[in-house]
Amino acid sequence: VIDRAYFQPADLEAALSILAKHREAGIVAGGTDLVVGARSSDKTLPATVVAIDRLKELGRIETSGDGGLQIGALATHADLETSTVVQGSWSALSDAASLVGSPATRHIGTIGGNICNASPAMETGSPLLVFEAIIELASKRGLRRIPIGAFLTGPRKTARRSDELLKSIVLPPLPRPGVTGSAYVRLEYRQAMEIAIVGAAALVTLRDDGICTEARIALTAVAPTCVRASPAEKVLIGSTVDADLVAKAARSAVGQANPIDDVRASAQYRRAMVPVIVERALRLAWNRAKDGVSK
Amino acid sequence: VRNANDCGYVTIVKGDVIAAFNQADEVIEERYHCDQSHPVPIEPHAIVAQWQGERVTIWSTSQVPFSARSGVAETLQMPESNVRIVVPHLGGGFGGKCEFHFEAHVAALAKKAGRPVRVVFSRHDEFVAPDKVNHPIVIDLKTGVKRDGTMTARAARIVMDTGAYASDAPSIAEIATMMAAGPYDIANLDINAHTIYTNKTPAGSVRAPSGPQIAWAVEQHTDEIAKRVGIDGYQIRTRNLLQDGDYGPTGQVMSAVGAKECLDRAAQMIGHGTPGKKHEGIGLACGWWFSLPAPSSVYLKMNVDGSATIVTGAQENGSGAVMGLALIASEELGISPDRVSILYQDTDAGAWDMGSSGSQTTFNNGRALIAAAAIIRERLLALASERLEVAPEDLEIHQGIVRVDGTPARSVPVADLAATAFARGELLAAHASPPASPLPESFGATCAGRVVFPAFADPTFVCQAARVQVDPQTGVVHVKEIAAVHDFGRILNPGGAQGQVEGGIVHSIGIGLTEGTVYRDGRQLNPHLLDYKLLTASDVPAIRVDFVHTHSVGGPRGAKGVGEPPIIPTAGAVANAIANATGVRVRELPMTAPRVCAAINKDSQE
Repeated sequence: VIDRAYFQPADLEAALSILAKHREAGIVAGGTDLVVGARSSDKTLPATVVAIDRLKELGRIETSGDGGLQIGALATHADLETSTVVQGSWSALSDAASLVGSPATRHIGTIGGNICNASPAMETGSPLLVFEAIIELASKRGLRRIPIGAFLTGPRKTARRSDELLKSIVLPPLPRPGVTGSAYVRLEYRQAMEIAIVGAAALVTLRDDGICTEARIALTAVAPTCVRASPAEKVLIGSTVDADLVAKAARSAVGQANPIDDVRASAQYRRAMVPVIVERALRLAWNRAKDGVSK
Repeated sequence: VRNANDCGYVTIVKGDVIAAFNQADEVIEERYHCDQSHPVPIEPHAIVAQWQGERVTIWSTSQVPFSARSGVAETLQMPESNVRIVVPHLGGGFGGKCEFHFEAHVAALAKKAGRPVRVVFSRHDEFVAPDKVNHPIVIDLKTGVKRDGTMTARAARIVMDTGAYASDAPSIAEIATMMAAGPYDIANLDINAHTIYTNKTPAGSVRAPSGPQIAWAVEQHTDEIAKRVGIDGYQIRTRNLLQDGDYGPTGQVMSAVGAKECLDRAAQMIGHGTPGKKHEGIGLACGWWFSLPAPSSVYLKMNVDGSATIVTGAQENGSGAVMGLALIASEELGISPDRVSILYQDTDAGAWDMGSSGSQTTFNNGRALIAAAAIIRERLLALASERLEVAPEDLEIHQGIVRVDGTPARSVPVADLAATAFARGELLAAHASPPASPLPESFGATCAGRVVFPAFADPTFVCQAARVQVDPQTGVVHVKEIAAVHDFGRILNPGGAQGQVEGGIVHSIGIGLTEGTVYRDGRQLNPHLLDYKLLTASDVPAIRVDFVHTHSVGGPRGAKGVGEPPIIPTAGAVANAIANATGVRVRELPMTAPRVCAAINKDSQE
C-alpha cells in the first residue's frame, strides 16, 4: 500500500506553509538525488514529497547592486555552466557546474539540491566556500542567512531546519583591491559521468603590482564536508605569486584533508592527490587573475 | 596438482621446458593479477512466462535460446516441443546472457500463479546474481629466450577464481592455457590452469573468456622479454609470431595465419618507432582466438515475387551477425539485401543453434545459409536455363536478374522464375545443415581438449596498437588512439566486422583501466554504475581499423569468427603503452589511476 502525500505548490508562500505543517517532508527539485537515491536499495522516498519545480522565482541568476551575485535555488547546473556572468566573474562555480554528472543531470539538477544533498564530493561546495557564499533559508518564521561553511555540517547533513526551504545563494562581491581569478579542478578517472575523487577550488586576487591580496582554497571529497584550507591561503596572501609559492601553498593544504578509504580511492591516494589538484586549481585561478590584470 | 576445490585443471605440455630454460640466454619470470570484471549489458536480464495448457511460451533476454529451452524442459520434466523461447531484440549481452538462467523458475511461478509472471533484474542483481563475470586470475609466467629474441620455452601457471559455481568455466581453463602460449611459436611449453571455487559471483563465458586478462599479462611479459634482450616490442613479436606451417601449442599445424601482417600494419598505423609527445607512449599487443565449428541450420524460402525469407535458429545479440545473413543471402541469390527478411530468435521457428556465443553465428549459420541458398540458386539457374535456352553454367545472377554471361541482354528476372515455378506447382524452398568441420586434433602430453578445445580451429589473429597519455602525478591514463588490424579470414559483413572491432576495443579499454569489481569481506563494493566505471563516449579514443584477408579452412567462403577477438589485445596494448610512457610496469588489472600512480612512485623510490 502506497501511503504517500505529494504537494506541488505554485509559489514560495504555499511551499513554506506546507513545510510548516509537514516537518518530515522531503523536498524535490530536479530529483537527481532524491529519486535516484530512492531507487537504490538503501533509501526510501519520503512519505511526504514537496515538489518545488513550479517556484519559477527561485530559478534566477542575478547580479546585485553591490557587485555580488544572487543565485536562486532552482538554477540548474546547466544554467551556471552557461551563464556568461558566472563564467566571467565566478569561474570556479561554472567550472564545477560543467563537471556535474551528465548533460541530462546538469539540465535538471539544481544548485539548491546539490547543496542540500550535502555530499562530501559535491562539485559546487568548494567553489561556494571560496566565494564565501551565504545560504538564504526561508520559512514561515522568516529568512535566515548562514555562511555555506556553517550550513554544511557533515556528510549528507546540513543546518537546514525541517520547515525551511533553501531559497537562494548569495555570493558577496569579489575581494578588492585587485583582480580576482577562480577555478575548480577535479581528479576524475573517466571524462564524464564522474564523481570527484579529490577536488579543489581556488580563488586568487592580484593587485597591479602582482601581490596577492586574497587567496582562498577549498577541498572536495577529502573530509566529511567540503572544507577551506586556510593555512595554504596564508602562504600566498601578501606575497608575489610564482610557481614555487603555488606549489608550497598546495603542499600545505594537505593538513586540512582527512580523507577516508572507499571504493573510489584509498585515504593515502586521496591525501597524496590534494597538493596535485590544489596546485592545478591555484595555477588556473592565478592565470585567470593575471589575464584579468593584463586586460 | 589438482585439489578437490579445483573444478577445471588443464595442462599443455610440449617439449622439455627444463632443458630449454637451462639452455636459454635469459629467463624472465613475472606474476600478474587480474580483478573480476563484468559484461554489463545495458539491458538487464528479463523473463516473462505464460502458459497455454501444457505449452509454455517464455520471452527471455537469452543469448542462447535453445540452451534455455533444454534447461526448462529438463528442469520442469516436459518435452522441448512444449517449450517455446522467444527473444525480443536484445539490449546487449557480451556473454552475460549465455547459458540457461532463470527461465524455468519464472515458468514454474507462472504455472503456480495461473497467469503470466515477469522477472526483471535490477542493476544490483546484474552485478551479483548471474553466473557470468570475467574470471579474477593470477598468472605466473616464465619464459626462456635466446639473445636474438627467439622464445624457446614457457612455463605458466594460471589460477582462475571461478566463484560459487562451475558454470562453463572448465572449458575456459582450456582456452586460458592456449592464451598463455599466445600466437607464438614456442618449442617447449609447460602450462597449467586451475579453476578454483570461491564464494564470489560465478565466472563464465564473458566475451572471449580469459582472453583479455591473459593477453594483458602475456603481452606485457612479451615486452619485458624484449627489454631484457635489448629489442623492442615490434621486433620480439615479428621474431616469434606463428606462421603457416608452424605447430601450435597442442601440435596443430597452422594455416591461414595473418599474424605478422597484422603486426606490421598496426605498428605502421600507430607510428611505431617515431618519437612521441611528453608523457605519451605507444604499445603493441597481439592475440589469437578460435573459430568454433558447431551444428547449424537454415530454412530459406524464395517468395513468389522473388524476395526471400531466412528462417534460422541463430540469435542476434546486437553484433549484426544475424542481420548480416541478409547480405550473404543477397550475394548468393543475386537479389538486393532489402528483399531478404529473417525470422529468428524463436525456438518454434528455426532449428537448434548454439546461439550468440563463441563468435560462431556467421561461421556456422553462414555455412548453412550458403548451402541452402545453393539449392535455390541451382533451381533458379535450371529454370532460367529452360527459359533462355542456355546451359546453367553459362548463367549468372546479378541484381535480381539471371542473365547470360557476356550477353546481358538475354536475361530473365528472378521474380519471373519464382512465379513460373509456382505456376508449375513448385515452391523454391530449401533447408540445409551441412556438417561442421572437425576440431583440429591435439598431440603430445597435453590434456587440453578433454572438455571442448584441443586446439584452436581456424584461429583469428590480431595486433592492436595503443597510444596513451599518462598523467604522471595522478596516474590517470587517457587512451588517445587505437590501431587495430585483424585477420578474420574473408569478411562477409564489413560494416558488422568494423562495429565489432570498435565495440571490443572500447570494452577492453574499460577492463584495462576503469572497471573491476572491488571485494571486501566477501561483498562487492561497487555493484552499480557509479563506481563500476564503464568507459563513456567522452573516453573513447580515435579508433582505426584494418583487416588482413586470409582464407579459413572451415568457415563459409573462408570466413573466421569475429565477435570476440577484438576485446583480447586492447588492455595489453594500453599496458605496454603505459610502460613506454612512464618506464614502469603495472601488473594489476584494471590499471586504475591509484595503481599507475603507485607503480610510478615505487619506481622513483627505488
